[in-house]
This record gives sequence, structure tokens and C-alpha cells, in this order.
Amino acid sequence: MLDILLSQTVSGLVLGGLYVLIAIGLSIIFGLLGIVNFAHGAFFTLGAYLALTLVGHFGWPAVVLAPVIVGGMGMVAERLLIRRLYDKEPLISLIVTFALALLIEASVRLIYGGIGQPFSPPPFLSGFQIWGPVLITNYRVAVLATTAAVLVLLWLFLEKTRFGRILRAGSRDPEMVGLLGINLPRVLTWVFGLGCAISGLAGLLAAPLWTVTPAMATNAIMPAFVVVAIGGLGSFAGAVIAGLLVGVVVALTIQFWPEASGGVMYLFMALMLLLRPRGLLGERWERFE
Amino acid sequence: MTVDKTGLLIPRRRALLGTVGLAVAPLAAPHIARAAEPVKVGLLLAKTGQIAGQTEYLANGSFLALEQRNKMIMGQPAELVWLDEPSPQAATQNMQKLVQEDKVCAVLGGSLSSNALAEEAKAAELKIPFVCDNAAATDITGKNCNRYTFRLNTPVAVQSRMLAPYALSYGKKWYHITASYAFGQDILKTSRELLKAAGGTEVGVDEVPLNTADFSSFILKIRQAKPDVVVGGLSAGDLTTFLKQWNELGMKGKIPFVEIAICDTDIWGVGPEAANGTFTKLWDAFNAKNTPEEKAFTEAYLKKYGKPPADKAWMGWITARSLFEAIDTAKSTDANKIIEALEAWKVPAGDVSYHYRKFDHQMLVRNLAVAVKDKITDKYNYFDVKATLPENPADLEKIFGSSEEIGCKMT
Repeated sequence: MLDILLSQTVSGLVLGGLYVLIAIGLSIIFGLLGIVNFAHGAFFTLGAYLALTLVGHFGWPAVVLAPVIVGGMGMVAERLLIRRLYDKEPLISLIVTFALALLIEASVRLIYGGIGQPFSPPPFLSGFQIWGPVLITNYRVAVLATTAAVLVLLWLFLEKTRFGRILRAGSRDPEMVGLLGINLPRVLTWVFGLGCAISGLAGLLAAPLWTVTPAMATNAIMPAFVVVAIGGLGSFAGAVIAGLLVGVVVALTIQFWPEASGGVMYLFMALMLLLRPRGLLGERWERFE
Repeated sequence: MTVDKTGLLIPRRRALLGTVGLAVAPLAAPHIARAAEPVKVGLLLAKTGQIAGQTEYLANGSFLALEQRNKMIMGQPAELVWLDEPSPQAATQNMQKLVQEDKVCAVLGGSLSSNALAEEAKAAELKIPFVCDNAAATDITGKNCNRYTFRLNTPVAVQSRMLAPYALSYGKKWYHITASYAFGQDILKTSRELLKAAGGTEVGVDEVPLNTADFSSFILKIRQAKPDVVVGGLSAGDLTTFLKQWNELGMKGKIPFVEIAICDTDIWGVGPEAANGTFTKLWDAFNAKNTPEEKAFTEAYLKKYGKPPADKAWMGWITARSLFEAIDTAKSTDANKIIEALEAWKVPAGDVSYHYRKFDHQMLVRNLAVAVKDKITDKYNYFDVKATLPENPADLEKIFGSSEEIGCKMT
């Protein structure tokens, strides 16, 4: 029994790592911009399809461009659409970003068609490791390592760099930041682009594992919202802990009660919101009023 | 012109006569009025979601069937009206809309078993012919059957009977991994009965929620259980994801995988490296034994869409064709006449003929047992056809079951 638990826990942590990556971009956008970005899953899908296209035309090294391009698309979306929502009610941003999500999905369907696109892990990451009862593929180890690296870099960026200090200051007092001569709208554009780029990176990493279809956003956006709700809106550390917890809970549910594995994360979220409405670490990290 | 006492410019009597004349004019020229209205057939197929990859082909096949008759039925212009099928409840609402607002004379559709079961009940309520082109749940032409519903896809129970010998050839310790909805539950029930009858053992079972993105934990369980064969009952995108991760976790070639009702679009999404398994399917574009009409359909599809038809395209095509030809034969859009014509519809198909059986409205079709090729060189051609089942055409009626076995009591 212990072997089984250990094996499933490791599997859950890998799944949770992917959930963390998907959720952290959403958390950044909400925490710093105050926007509930329902199109987050659509940028995840874009990351997957761009990875597929770049690998098909230029080989695996080109795949690093996928999140960069998605980030650029996010910045364009922010300039044209999202910045008009900052002083609006949250419901408006939900509706508008939902519409954006539908538009992106329809565009992907138009270009690539509705059927799944084949995409496998790169040959240099094929194979797996067996450590006692634990089986983990080389590709999933790479996903975990990439997620950890991105989280560390993101934390360093926001805590230790000038840009990060501007972001945190701007969230507390945008007027003062403006008076100091800093172009805050441009900063917000970069933040939205960053959140989308992270989502695109998650899509790129998930594409060899999941089915690449225009509808794959659902498998990303729902867990993302659950993780952010459990971890606490706007909380970086909360999203990390919640993502890993959700992954492990799902994996263990699969072992003992597989029929419930689809709904257990929502049950977990409901319990958390009942017992602790602000989430695990629900202090406001950064937010614009 | 003078104004009369009532203030009307036109005398009252003349106005009344004119109004009555306008009202009865359509009755006096009924043929002229009807000829202006196209014959409409409803199409209820999901436009989004994990089944959308299959429904795209189903719809393409149905639209091609209409184009091949120059968009005419009964010598009149005809059109297909396609509405979404997002859930069973929404599908029945859309069926109502098709009948009451769009005035369709029949409906094609039913991409998922859960939707089709609701739609067939609605069809009986609305008294509209419904030809189910995709769903495979046994009950559709089983205990839930009704005279308005016709169905193409071979029921789960029949396909499972066809596949069982292949599964048993690997051994008698089976692991079931099936979808947690009508289709998967049907497979599980039937497969368990067949395993028990063969003296086998179920070493594990998982009912998987739809839209599961990560199967690694399920695959770990299967690995621990060490079955002789894994019998799947996963649907569309879930099957694609499972096979990708099955290969990723090193299970391809280690434990055989079998499943009924594979769709080309499911396996195309897996990719040549990861694809594996033995399956049943209704039709394959590359089958040398296809009829001349089916080969012509393949050519026409390739010409129009630039790629070969998936099996679902043929399914959309043959069901639409049966319905359009039935309306032609009936020379009427009356539901009862269409039903009679569908019951009499028959086209030759090699050693047998495609037709709907009278007592349950199930189309009798020989299925193919297919296995993924060892080496895939064409991105659309994944399968070797192992056998056409039943191998003896005379056994076709028997394998589909008798009225008592199926439990269809048509009212």
C-alpha cells in the first residue's frame, strides 16, 4: 500500500506542477492588474499549437519561441482590449475575456481544424526512470524542472529587479508611480504579456502529454481557477501550494475512487471556500484598485 | 376618389373582398406555394467539445451526400439545418427548434450516446423521424427503441461480441478502463458478461470521467495489476490522450490494448509513434473491399476536402443518403411515410446489403476488426484490416441479436 501511495503521490506532484504553471500566470494577472482573465486557457491552447507548428517547421530548438509569441499576442490583447477594463466591474472583465477565449478557440479551429493534432515528446527526452515503486518519464521530470525554474526566476524577477519593484509599487499607488515619471500603462502591458507567456509555456509543455485540440483550454482554465481559489486570489505561494495539493489529491482519488477524480478538485475548492474563504494564503499580493 | 362615410378611401365591401381573396390565395395555388419552400432536414451534431473532431467529419459526409444529389430531394431544393448538441438537454431543445421553427421533416444526428438517448425520446414526442448516425449505446435500439428512431452504429453489445475473441486471444485476465457515461458503462457491462462467460477474471476496473487530461495515475494502476490485456471504453479525445500517455509511460507493446468503435480522428491525434491497439470500426477508406459507390464517395471527399474521409464521414454520408432516398421514395415529408420508406430502404454492399432491420430500426453492417500497422507511412492510413465480421455473412442477423435478446418493443 505504501508503494502505491508513494507512486501516486509522485504522479500527482507532476500533474500538480503543470497546474501550478497554468495557475501562476492567472494569479499574476489578477494580482497585479485586477483582471479575471477567462482567456487564460485560450493562451495555453495557443502555446500548444505554436509549439506544434514551430517544431514541425524548424525543429525542437524553435519551440522556445512559442511562449514569447504568445506573450506578444497577450500584449497586443492588452493594448487593444484589456486596458479598457481596469476601472470596470469584475463581471465585465469576465465577460470580455470569455468572449476573447471563444474568439481564439474559433480561430484555432479555423486554421488547424477540429481534430486532435499528433504531437509527442522530443526524442531526447524519451524513456523513463524507475525508482522502486515510482515510475516517472524523462519528459515529466523535464516539465517539473522547467516549472521549478520558471517559478524561481519569476520570484527573483518580481522581488529583486527594478521592474518588479515598479510593479509592486504601481499596484499600491499607481498615481504616485505615474508622478515619478514611470509609464505605468506600458508596465501593465508587459505584465499581461508575462502572464500569457507563462500560460503559453504551460501549453507547450502539456502538448506532448495531452490531446492537442482547440477545446484543450477547458482542461487548463478550470484547474487554474480552482488552484487560484484554493491558494488565494493574487497569492504566488498560495498558487504553488494549492497546485501541488490539487495534483496529489486528484492522483490519490484516481487510486481509490476513480469515478470521482473529475470532480474532487471542485469539492476541495468548495470545502476550502467554506472553511477559509480567502484561500490558503489569501493575502492580497498585489492589486490595482 | 371620394371618401365614404366610414372614412375609408376604398369602399368597405371591396376592402373585405380583397382581404378574403388574399387569405385564400395560397389555398388556391398550393403547388406554387410549396415549390418555393425547400425540403429541410435537421442535423443535430456537437459543434464544440471533445467530440467535435468526429462531428466535423459526420457533418461533412452528410453535406456531401446532399451535394451529390445537387441539393435536391423530391425534385425540390433541399437543405440541411445544423444546430449544436452541447448537452442532452440543449440537444432536445434544439430538436424542438428544428421541428417547430425550421420546419424540418426529419433529423439526423446523435454524436454522443447520452445526447442520442434524449433525442430519440424527443423524436417520439415530436413524432419526427430521427436517424442516429454515431451513438452506439445498446439501449438506443434496445429497450429505449421507438418507431421514429433509426440507428447506424453497431450497438456496443454487438461490437463487444465481435472484439471478444481478439481480447481472449491475449489471455483471460482483463483490466477495464472505460468512460464514466452511457457508452463506457455499456461497454463495461457487456465486456464483463463476455469475460465471465469465457471463464476469465477482471483484475482491475476504472471508470474515468470525461475530459480527463492526465491518465498517468490510471496507467500506474494498470501496470500494478499486470493484466493480460486492457479492454478500453474511452471516448474520442480521452482515448487519444490515453494512448499518447500509454506510449509515453512505456506500456506500448507491453500489454495489449483493445477497444470497440475506434474512430480515425481519435487515432490520427495519437500520432504514428504512439498509436497501437486492436479495434473494431464500421468502415475504412483504405479497405480494398469497399463497394464501387464507397470508393466513389472516397474520391469525391478527397476532391472536396483534400484529405481522405474518416470513418465518421462515411457514417454521416450513408445515414444522410438513406434518409434523402427514403424521402424521395415516400414522395412526401409526412413522418409515417418517411418511416415506412426507411424501413424498406436497402442498398447492396458486397455479400450483404445495408438496410434497417424492421423490428428495431438498427442498420445491419458488417464491422471491421483492425489493428494499428507496425509501421505507419501515411498520416491518414493507420490500420490493417484483420477481418470483416462476422466472417460468414449469413451470421449477420444472428450476431446483432434477436428481438427477445435486444428487448426492443416498438410502440
